[in-house]
Amino acid sequence: MHKSIVINRVPRVEGHGGITVNMKDGKVSQVNMDIYEGPRFFESLVVGKTYDQVTPILMRICAICSAVHTVTSLMAVENALGIKVSHQTRLLRDLLIQGGNIESHALHVFCLALPDFLNYPSVVDMARDHAQEVCTGLEIKKLGNTIQEVIGGRAVHPVNAVIGGFGKLPAPEELLRLKEQLTKGLEQSWAAVELIAQLEIPDFCISPNIYAALLPNGSGFSLLGEEIILSTGEKRNIRQYQQICQEKVVPHSHAKQSWCNDKPFMVGALARVALNGDKLVGEAKKARDKLGLNSPSKNILENNVAQALELIYSMERSLEIIDELLDTGIKPEPSAPVKIRAGSGVGAAEAPRGTLYHSYSFDEEGRLTKADVITPTAQNLANIEKDLRQAVENLMDEPTESLKRKLEMVVRAYDPCISCSVHLLELKR
Amino acid sequence: MDKPKVGIYGLTGCAGDQLVILNCEDELLDLVGSLDIKSFSMAASGADDQCQLDIAFVEGTVVQPDEEKLLKDIRQRAKLLVAIGTCAVWGGVTAMKNEVDPKKFIEQVYGPAGKVFEVIPPQPLSSFVKVDLSLPGCPIEKEQLLRGVASLLHGDLPKLPNYAVCTECKMAEYPCILVEKGLPCLGPITVAGCGARCPSYGLTCNGCRGPVDDINVASEINILKEKGFTWVDIQNRLRTFAAPAPPLNLQTLEEAKNA
Repeated sequence: MHKSIVINRVPRVEGHGGITVNMKDGKVSQVNMDIYEGPRFFESLVVGKTYDQVTPILMRICAICSAVHTVTSLMAVENALGIKVSHQTRLLRDLLIQGGNIESHALHVFCLALPDFLNYPSVVDMARDHAQEVCTGLEIKKLGNTIQEVIGGRAVHPVNAVIGGFGKLPAPEELLRLKEQLTKGLEQSWAAVELIAQLEIPDFCISPNIYAALLPNGSGFSLLGEEIILSTGEKRNIRQYQQICQEKVVPHSHAKQSWCNDKPFMVGALARVALNGDKLVGEAKKARDKLGLNSPSKNILENNVAQALELIYSMERSLEIIDELLDTGIKPEPSAPVKIRAGSGVGAAEAPRGTLYHSYSFDEEGRLTKADVITPTAQNLANIEKDLRQAVENLMDEPTESLKRKLEMVVRAYDPCISCSVHLLELKR
Repeated sequence: MDKPKVGIYGLTGCAGDQLVILNCEDELLDLVGSLDIKSFSMAASGADDQCQLDIAFVEGTVVQPDEEKLLKDIRQRAKLLVAIGTCAVWGGVTAMKNEVDPKKFIEQVYGPAGKVFEVIPPQPLSSFVKVDLSLPGCPIEKEQLLRGVASLLHGDLPKLPNYAVCTECKMAEYPCILVEKGLPCLGPITVAGCGARCPSYGLTCNGCRGPVDDINVASEINILKEKGFTWVDIQNRLRTFAAPAPPLNLQTLEEAKNA
């Protein structure tokens, strides 16, 4: 019988987080996902900064998701100042975050999660027996980075996406090169799907989830949208995100937790596929059927399967965007003009790990008075604790070391981005 | 020769510099093949955190007492300590408001209901321990990292540029963002190594690599004042990434403004 289980640091996740499980009379009395990454007070750092300084600072909340932080932040600034961007800018931003999605999912699926499913302590150890798979994973990851370099100017902390548009637009030759690489990448991603379709996904953590994601703007699957939908049937405009993410301070964590009507919920690839999977078309639809993700999953470990599916989606969507840009030709347009005014605005996008919100207010000089950022990992923390409890209850007779490993798997399935989650400040002036 | 024993550590930060290491996709398997990596928690389970190290790479800043302890422990075990990224080298973006008492932030964030954290204002690693090599950048440049590792493998320290981004920009013949566009470019005072990345996109250098050795901050301030930027905005821009750097501290800037 376990007394208590303490994992000081969950390895192979971004940032510093641990797990504590307390037992009483043979029952689980408390499960904590401890977040002890140092607080960085990002939202207070940008108070007083001019509207154009905000994005370069707030993208630094996280490296892996810096592209989607950038795009979400730019949309929040533009919504606050009433700036309208062109269709071309929206397409290029979509392409930029698809690059981020590809890079992040490839890193997580191949380097961080697959070693779990195949029983290796790290990707380096896995490479000894599965060199081909690891190389494929690294190539796909590199392609995600290449997209971010071509469109964003850098793989980590992009520089080229700015308020109203882009510093420099990509040349047609660059897009053609990307197209070639994506065509190959799509084939390679199928290899990943085949590999993952053969895996037996463990079933020690079956538990129904409330899912939340953005409702795609158009008819297809998308990482962008103006409305938040939940598997409970609730629906809100992104401006009402605080009604979905009701934040709580908990004593064991530097990150606040999000609850919706006192219930934990899950955001991320698995939530998107559960809520919007019927909107997938083409190869992504085939992959969805192949991977058996046709109905909402109750097994959080399948989040990694949904990420593999999204690799296919993101490659296809990137190809679609590039084709449209090449067909119409890249217009050499300047960035949309800025008129400084007082105002508030919300930006939202589906980051690799789930819905990301940035919300800002500016005064009449264009200086930021208030910022609020809610990251996917912060939203998932309460749900992670729910799933850890479920896993412990199912695994009471498991030897401690093996139980610990499985609990780490549950945390890693969420692909948590702990730096992201610890930034929190609601500053009222 | 035995492979050098290496540890890669992340203190508080965005993990972007460790991600740049993971982003060396083409070189990654060679890289891990030529090093004996004892600890890299972002990428592998089973870290050995007691052993002696030939090289420790440390990213991020110290903001909690435990991190100060960890950093000092790493220093004791490592022959060479390399600070990677602008956070480790200069404190990074989170150090930009160090003049404000962190207790005030904590109360604003977590309220009276929140737990009482002990927080140290973010400082460069060199405020706590001896740093043998500094690779700045937010994030670090892949090529500089790989060249750095190659030099260290040969028992040498790499030669890093001691000139400004402005020099790289002029060599590449990009149009001047500061003079021609009148935008607040920090290329003249920021250390080179990025190939003038932002100016190459027609955008201002934001100073993410931190100050160059022979910085002429008074001249930068003068130009920005002439372009019509307010003193508050000039200070905000200069102190975004490397506020703890001596040439950028508030008093030095006041003196430079009045010089």
